[in-house]
Amino acid sequence: MNLSTRIAIVLLAIGPTLAGAFASADVVAVVSAKSAIKALTQEQVADIFLGRVSRFPNGLVAVPIDLRDGSPERDQFYAKIAGKTPAQVKAYWSKIIFTGRGQPPRAVPTDLDMKKFIADNDTAIGYIDSALLDSSVRAL
Amino acid sequence: MARKDYAGSRYHMRRKLAEFGLCAVLCPVTIISAAGVTNTGTTDTANPTTAGTPDVAPPSMLTFGAFGTLGVVHSDQPLADFTSTRVESVGAGHTDPWSASVDSLVGAQGNAQITPQFSAVLQVISEQNSDSSFSPHIEWAFLKYQITPDFFVRLGRTALDAFLLADSRNVGFTYAWVRPPVELYDLVPSTNSDGIDFNYRFEVGGGSNTVDAAVGYNSYQYPIANTRNTATADSHEQLALVDTFQRGSATFRLTYGQAHITVPTLEPLFDAFREFGAQGVGIADRFDVNDRIVAYYGLSGSYEPGDWFLMAELGRTNYHSVLGEATGWYVSSGRRFGKVTPYATYAQTRPNVGTRAAGLDLSGLPPAQAAEAGALNAGLNATLATIASQRTLSLGARFDVTSSIDLKLQWDRTNLGANSEGWLTNVQPGFPFGSSYTLVSVTLDFVF
Repeated sequence: MNLSTRIAIVLLAIGPTLAGAFASADVVAVVSAKSAIKALTQEQVADIFLGRVSRFPNGLVAVPIDLRDGSPERDQFYAKIAGKTPAQVKAYWSKIIFTGRGQPPRAVPTDLDMKKFIADNDTAIGYIDSALLDSSVRAL
Repeated sequence: MARKDYAGSRYHMRRKLAEFGLCAVLCPVTIISAAGVTNTGTTDTANPTTAGTPDVAPPSMLTFGAFGTLGVVHSDQPLADFTSTRVESVGAGHTDPWSASVDSLVGAQGNAQITPQFSAVLQVISEQNSDSSFSPHIEWAFLKYQITPDFFVRLGRTALDAFLLADSRNVGFTYAWVRPPVELYDLVPSTNSDGIDFNYRFEVGGGSNTVDAAVGYNSYQYPIANTRNTATADSHEQLALVDTFQRGSATFRLTYGQAHITVPTLEPLFDAFREFGAQGVGIADRFDVNDRIVAYYGLSGSYEPGDWFLMAELGRTNYHSVLGEATGWYVSSGRRFGKVTPYATYAQTRPNVGTRAAGLDLSGLPPAQAAEAGALNAGLNATLATIASQRTLSLGARFDVTSSIDLKLQWDRTNLGANSEGWLTNVQPGFPFGSSYTLVSVTLDFVF
């Protein structure tokens, strides 16, 4: 076995790690209390936020709302639903933006803006710190 | 007399053919545009407005973005150039041991959302052109009409979507490697197509499936090796079909493309063959590249759950001519450790047909004619020999400097097939066909 082959094997074999690093996020996906959506799987939430689907499972149009780039809740949210780091999320959307196929979700500045927007829009879906939950929104 | 030149200008001929030919052929093949990949983001249309809620920025009518790569690559083979695409004129090795013009590029894109359904995209890129200049060119310019959230049509210049990364290959920030493996991606060197495509997405099997159908035309410049000259290849009646299935972190894609290709620069060789009676006509009809239908078949898949990735692609071209048949494939995997993602890739291009032909039978010909026929046979075989054969092991790592800048280091070891120059260009006298070479690359990618 030559050196390069051995290096390759070592690289691929190095192992375990980081998998559990993002396990405990306090951020939860939310819809308006007025929304007909009662529950979604993590995969369904990821599909909506990554633009893979444009509708909720019940057929209604889904409008995902993001927090601004760089906010800790946002980073936590994408780590939780898709296992993606901020750079990976940026790379993912760059691929779609720079192919003219779409744009990432619109963003609001703060978590309170997020909660208000979600509460007022029954087609919207967002995410907030679970400590901010109240009767205006429904955690999924 | 001109005919004898074919034998003499082996290097030129090899390259010409390759650049013309291969390019011409393969490229067209796939016009695909499939946006396949994932579908379409949350797009444009899908967002009903949220009137009355002041907190969200309204969708802007105009958005702009930019991306780029600054990189240098070193090759230890001084008798030929390594290039990252078949459109580039010069590269690392012969022209410069260290080259900054192989991987570097800058692009800018504007999107105009004219109505909720109607949008326009313009993308301009400055990268090394076939004449080795960096003058910007229009990579894409199209109008898009979103008929439903899951169905759109585009008219204009769009991506030629043969490969998994075909429409994002210029945006280094979107993948782990320094560049997509040339063993596969050089099979279809052109990156765009002028025409129309239809893209339809539907839910199936717990995932989403996207079908893209495109027709178009492609005309592009390619370099003529060892000169600073360029030539134009044309391909028409291009048809491409791409089916992409995505479920969770997994993506699978099937591609078929075909086109009618003509490589005018090869015609003199075959015209000369035709002067040698029925045998010569038979050879010309078998090998010439005059309105040939070429085909491309592709199969690819990726799995990217977040902390690691595994992807593989397989593509096959058939030119039904002297440009031959070839298969390209790679397998790549990497794992993320915090901000660092080491990866390994193994890639290969191999000819599916013999790269030698018997040519004209010289026995019984008068000496003068035999010499001429021998020169033609040599020209034919020099052309066949340009069908690439090589395999490469790549090891590298990507470091995420910020959420929009990365730094990459990559080492490649390439073994050329017997008597092959592989995908190298500007091959010099004395070049060791069938040898090996090593590349070291450093790049910085950004998106804004």
